[in-house]
Amino acid sequence: MPGFDFSNYNRNAALHARGVPLPKATSTGTTIVGCIFEGGVVIAADTRATSGPIVADKNCEKLHYISPNIWCAGAGTAADTEFTTALISSQLELHSLSTGRKPRVVTCMTMLKQHLFRYQGHIGAYLVVAGVDPTGTHLFTVHAHGSTDKLPYVTMGSGSLAAMSVFETQWKPQLTQDEAVALCSEAIQSGIFNDLGSGSNVDVAIITDKKTTLKRNYIKPNERVPKLKSYIFKRGTTAVLNEKIIRKEDLGNFVSVHELAVEETGDKMEVDA
Amino acid sequence: MEFGNSGCLSEDGIHVDMDRLKKGEVNLGTSIMAVTFKDGVILGADSRTTTGAYIANRVTDKLTRVNDTIWCCRSGSAADTQAVADIVQYQLGLFAMMNGKPPTTQTAVSIFQDICYANKDRLSAGLIVAGWDERHGGQVYSIPLGGSLHKQSYAIGGSGSTYIYGFCDANWKEGMEEEDAVNFVKEALKEAIKWDGSSGGVIRMVVLTEKGADRHLYLPDTEYQVRHE
Amino acid sequence: MSSPFSINGGACVAMVGKDCVAIACDLRLGLQALTVSNNFPKIFQYGDNVFLGLTGLATDLSTVSDLFRYKVNMYRLREERNIAPKTFANLPFICGFDSIGCIDFAADFIVSGTATDQLYGMCESLWEPNLAPEDLFETISQALMSAVDRDALSGWGAYVYIIEKDKVTKRLLKGRQD
Repeated sequence: MPGFDFSNYNRNAALHARGVPLPKATSTGTTIVGCIFEGGVVIAADTRATSGPIVADKNCEKLHYISPNIWCAGAGTAADTEFTTALISSQLELHSLSTGRKPRVVTCMTMLKQHLFRYQGHIGAYLVVAGVDPTGTHLFTVHAHGSTDKLPYVTMGSGSLAAMSVFETQWKPQLTQDEAVALCSEAIQSGIFNDLGSGSNVDVAIITDKKTTLKRNYIKPNERVPKLKSYIFKRGTTAVLNEKIIRKEDLGNFVSVHELAVEETGDKMEVDA
Repeated sequence: MEFGNSGCLSEDGIHVDMDRLKKGEVNLGTSIMAVTFKDGVILGADSRTTTGAYIANRVTDKLTRVNDTIWCCRSGSAADTQAVADIVQYQLGLFAMMNGKPPTTQTAVSIFQDICYANKDRLSAGLIVAGWDERHGGQVYSIPLGGSLHKQSYAIGGSGSTYIYGFCDANWKEGMEEEDAVNFVKEALKEAIKWDGSSGGVIRMVVLTEKGADRHLYLPDTEYQVRHE
Repeated sequence: MSSPFSINGGACVAMVGKDCVAIACDLRLGLQALTVSNNFPKIFQYGDNVFLGLTGLATDLSTVSDLFRYKVNMYRLREERNIAPKTFANLPFICGFDSIGCIDFAADFIVSGTATDQLYGMCESLWEPNLAPEDLFETISQALMSAVDRDALSGWGAYVYIIEKDKVTKRLLKGRQD
């Protein structure tokens, strides 16, 4: 069954009330952006995931698949963006199969906002929804509480202010595809370098009526330089108390098969009709 | 989303933490109004939405269509007002199909009020509903926070409205010509935008008459003088 | 009262090597500062070469590991095959989860437990790409041992599993008992 399990709610509420802090979820202190151009839309994201001050993942994926022509960029609670987009993607696929039409971006946006509104902001998913469908090119933002905006260029996440400053100074109407990609990656990089919650690489997705191109790690401005010295320990450094090796071909040795005697008393079970 | 540590457990084990409710929600700190005039009604609004001190959208459209000639101005929580408007739009669409004629403004506000009153402890939605219909011509209704309903000749709302009660009272005239009514709305919203920090951006208007809906847009670049679009 | 995540203590780490992966855990079970057991493994096996490391509240570890064992067994009965898809079984692959289910697909290493911060530091400096099984063993062992030596809630020995295509090697490490 899809949905949430609230069976631990009272336990957790009681613990929380006695001063136990809530567990740290991986959050995407994030920069995500989107921008419409002549003939399509591009969305982009950084690739840092954080848990408090710790960088939990240096190269995570924040661009989520909804349908071939609709993609989402996610900020907020990482698990919530992941599962919410997966849920809506599945529902939209079924909807598209039953209506026999291509999925629309407004449909996706409406399903997302109604789902998030129902949970009153407790699902911490902040999303940029972008896509091209038979009605045209669309770009939306959806906030965790269920409000939506429709704009030609958008930013979200902790790095949204840094990214928006790039759009507000450099954006112009009727961008070409290359200009839009450059502008979006520039905006993400301003988030990567100026916002502590954002970092690592730039992921970009370009959606046109012809095709969708996902450019994973389109720009890698923060590559780790190879270590100048190897810290490999000499084999035998670690003291071992005992060792057990299980080989695949020996696995059979750990399984014993017993033939059970067949009892002739009582009714036999009908095996074949 | 961040959670506070200020929890308290009541006797029955129910946990209440007011700080956790709707933190970082998108707000329509707003200036909205609607007026009646000789041929119908005019709705007007600024275009600023904020999350705290950050302007999340500077060109928001707070004038929302729920039927061809019935529109509403939204103030308060963006999520709540969008959800309510979406439900009413659906209900009125259904009404029009079932009855083969467009709903009256009264029908619309009645649905609005039902939702706002039934969910008054869960919603932060301040709405002004205005519409034109065959039977009653132009009408303006206000549905403030508690879910009450007030028929008015003109209504103002949102955080910016406090600054323009005096202006509106001094300059209001019943049965104005369209041009004068547009100017009344524009001048009032200009003052609200000037004095209210949570209001700003462009001025949007919708004129609802027998001829349908006519959209106006005024930009701050031209001191809101020139009509665009 | 402290957090359920740090009452019992414990540390877990996984690493990718060349044609192999390693997963290791400490052996301590504590109640705040009191050590209750020095033989409480936190790695569970769910197939020929599928392993899961769990850290956190001990009672939840038992519950979760048993629930997974049940689910994996049901899967095996239903599908009449092992849980690991062929491709995954033959690919060295590791990933991590936060407490509400967000997957961290890592190309290098995954850490968890009360010694998380220390493990991040150790792994970030010791790990390098394409380590042979023997070298991966030394790297993960030294990373775990050094990390838990600076965490009061973890330690008291460790288990290290080196998982290769055709075999799994499990080693018990000699660690401080204080």
